[in-house]
Amino acid sequence: MWFYRSPTVVYGDDALSFLESIDMKAVLIVTDRNISKSGILEKVKAHIFSPSVETIDYIKEEPSVDEINDAVEKIGNFKPDTIIGLGGGSSMDAAKVILFRLSRPDLDFFDLTPLSYLGIKKNHKFIAIPTTAGTGSECSWAAVVTDRNDGRKAEMASPEIMPDFAILDPSMVSGMPAEVRRNTATDALTHAIEAYVSTWKNPYSDSLAREAVMLITSGCAKLHDDPENMEYNSMVQIGASMAGSAFSNSQIGLAHALGHAFGAVFHKPHGLSVGIFLPRVIEFNDVSCHDRYEEINSFFSTDLRKENLEESVKSFLKFMGLPLYVEDAGIDVDEYMTRKKVVADLCFESTGIIGNPRDVSRSDIDKILSDMIHK
Amino acid sequence: MVKFPSKEWMDLYVERLKSNDIYKDSARDWEGDITFVCRADGPLKNDIAMWLDLYHGECRDARYFQNASDAPKSAFRYIGPFGNWVKLIQGQIDPLQGVLTGKFKLEGPMMKIMRYTKAAKELVRTASKIDTEF
Ligand SMILES: [Fe+2]
Repeated sequence: MWFYRSPTVVYGDDALSFLESIDMKAVLIVTDRNISKSGILEKVKAHIFSPSVETIDYIKEEPSVDEINDAVEKIGNFKPDTIIGLGGGSSMDAAKVILFRLSRPDLDFFDLTPLSYLGIKKNHKFIAIPTTAGTGSECSWAAVVTDRNDGRKAEMASPEIMPDFAILDPSMVSGMPAEVRRNTATDALTHAIEAYVSTWKNPYSDSLAREAVMLITSGCAKLHDDPENMEYNSMVQIGASMAGSAFSNSQIGLAHALGHAFGAVFHKPHGLSVGIFLPRVIEFNDVSCHDRYEEINSFFSTDLRKENLEESVKSFLKFMGLPLYVEDAGIDVDEYMTRKKVVADLCFESTGIIGNPRDVSRSDIDKILSDMIHK
Repeated sequence: MVKFPSKEWMDLYVERLKSNDIYKDSARDWEGDITFVCRADGPLKNDIAMWLDLYHGECRDARYFQNASDAPKSAFRYIGPFGNWVKLIQGQIDPLQGVLTGKFKLEGPMMKIMRYTKAAKELVRTASKIDTEF
């Protein structure tokens, strides 16, 4: 027995106008400063006819437990019936945890796990509007929060924090800065590949992952020379949400376990952090899932496809301008060697490890981490 | 072949767990006893319990209770009917998916478990390697 879970996905031209058909009385929008300054927030608000709209527009990248608690405190007595997460993964993930905190103030922050029923959405509608094409958070029931107390990324999850609606309007992503685009697209590609070989894979996640790889790699190849093109942006945006849905219904794997740990220790963006490990993880896992890797490789854009998945991913990373070694990510080798034990410790705590197709031991992790520097 | 559930099976399980280096490593900070409760179902006529005192990757003590209600209170309890235990040990149910699908119930601080999913998987893998008769 297993499940297939998904929000209602509204996509394509003018998808934002769907907001007008949702009955909302009091709306809380969770977003970041860039979105509010860029005019995107106003564009979204233009489709909300509710008399009461409050905005939290100071969600930072990789939000922390304290920042989210602080936001909940500032919401005070405002009682929204609708919560909108607007932005990249950080804003959408923060909105998920705020939804949990508002619904269940009686519980502890870290009680947000999938292991028991929490009764979260009884009084709320939850809408996610991504402004990046990558994290897939709009289609997932996971949220990553930085726990600064012990320097780790807490992987929080519950089917109850899955958005009711994911609104994918290509106009939201066409102006994305190049660096954000390369990181988020790489994150999305990693979601699709890891979901496809996870021990939790299933026919639903398989079909989403295959289509996602095709849309993400073809879309990115085409966007290179025409970054504002709506059709190509829409391809990557839809591919990223499919990849989000794929891993949400299957599991992330070792590249995410390593990437979360690496990102927490070296403060690098999530997409870069998972992407840098993906070729090594494919090499490591290949013995356990060679045929699956061959299958998913066949869905790569012909512009970027190589003779095997590891090489295709490397060609994708190079094409996107992302590093394959830690020195190329601007990390000092000595510092890396000193702190890689912390990365290994954190990696071992990640839920990404349990769904990985090949069993991972401490020495396997040490070996992969050691291989991340130029010889 | 050792029969499940029985004290003999539990003793063999503890022995195997002690020699499982991946478990030791993934549970090296773990502190908390756990009770496996096997509910009466099919051939099993009453609820039984296996209590394990797990500490820093070691199993310091283990006790078998023919009557689950005699088991001491523990930090965690993993509870399921006999039929699902059989599937778990045979590798047909993933320990975490077992909870997500309601085949098993987990009691205790959930977030702590979420940080030790690797250790939880090793606990089950160790069981699946025992030549078990049901
Ligand atoms: Fe990710």
